[in-house]
Amino acid sequence: MAVLGSKKSKVSDEIPSSSMADIAFLLLIFFLVTTTFPKDKGLAIVLPEQQAEQDVSQKNVLHIIINPSGTVTIKRGESQQEQQVRPDDVEAIWRQGFAENENLIAAVKTHPEAAYRFMVDVLDALHSAGAKKISLQLLEE
Amino acid sequence: MSIRSGGLQRKSKASQEIPSSSMADIAFLLLIFFMVSTVFQKDKKREILWPEAEASEKIDEKQKDILNIWMETNGDVYINDLHWEMEEVRAVVRPLFADNQQLVISIRSDQNVPYRHIDLLQKELQGAGALRVVFAAELEQDIIRERR
Repeated sequence: MAVLGSKKSKVSDEIPSSSMADIAFLLLIFFLVTTTFPKDKGLAIVLPEQQAEQDVSQKNVLHIIINPSGTVTIKRGESQQEQQVRPDDVEAIWRQGFAENENLIAAVKTHPEAAYRFMVDVLDALHSAGAKKISLQLLEE
Repeated sequence: MSIRSGGLQRKSKASQEIPSSSMADIAFLLLIFFMVSTVFQKDKKREILWPEAEASEKIDEKQKDILNIWMETNGDVYINDLHWEMEEVRAVVRPLFADNQQLVISIRSDQNVPYRHIDLLQKELQGAGALRVVFAAELEQDIIRERR
């Protein structure tokens, strides 16, 4: 038994350093593959071509006027009736309007001094409601 | 001074193989060298308060197909870290769009910019023919609304 014991002690008692590199590279490659960089987020829209203005029937237009204070004025088509709402309410208004008229176009008219975020709020509501026909305009006095 | 055969034998005991344990050190040295010396082309960080939107979606375009246009609160426009006047945007974007028809413009604007600047920018982009636009916005998460 003593002879056997002395033979066993010839096995190196150090951790093999040559495989350390393999382990390190394995970890490196693992993290390389699993890392995902955060992608940019935003509201995508396709602008109309220049000078491609289309005439649309007033009854198909939902006027969404954004005031400098952030409130939203809704005007439906030809009627002169105005309705003051919050940007979040636009989603429900669009859904209701779209259910009645499938050709509805959202005309977002923003006051020149209104902050950009109010326009984004309204655009967000329209995107949430699934609106596809959106026209972005500057409110003319 | 006579060389004994024993001496030669002793010298040949030095390993003939390249030590494999130091290979890793060399590899890591190279790796770290290239990591440190690589410079990514990235826009300078700007002090921008992002607008927030719930419906904002990820832009599934390659990084090279996205052109960032930054706008600061006072309406200053920056493209590739250079300041441009609003009237020049058209001339800057047109050749970039001609090179890459897949170009998507990411408008990265402060949430408090008066809308007239954004409107002018849109008109400039239309003039340049770049019609695919993204209004970059942070995902609004604090309000969870019921979806029908």
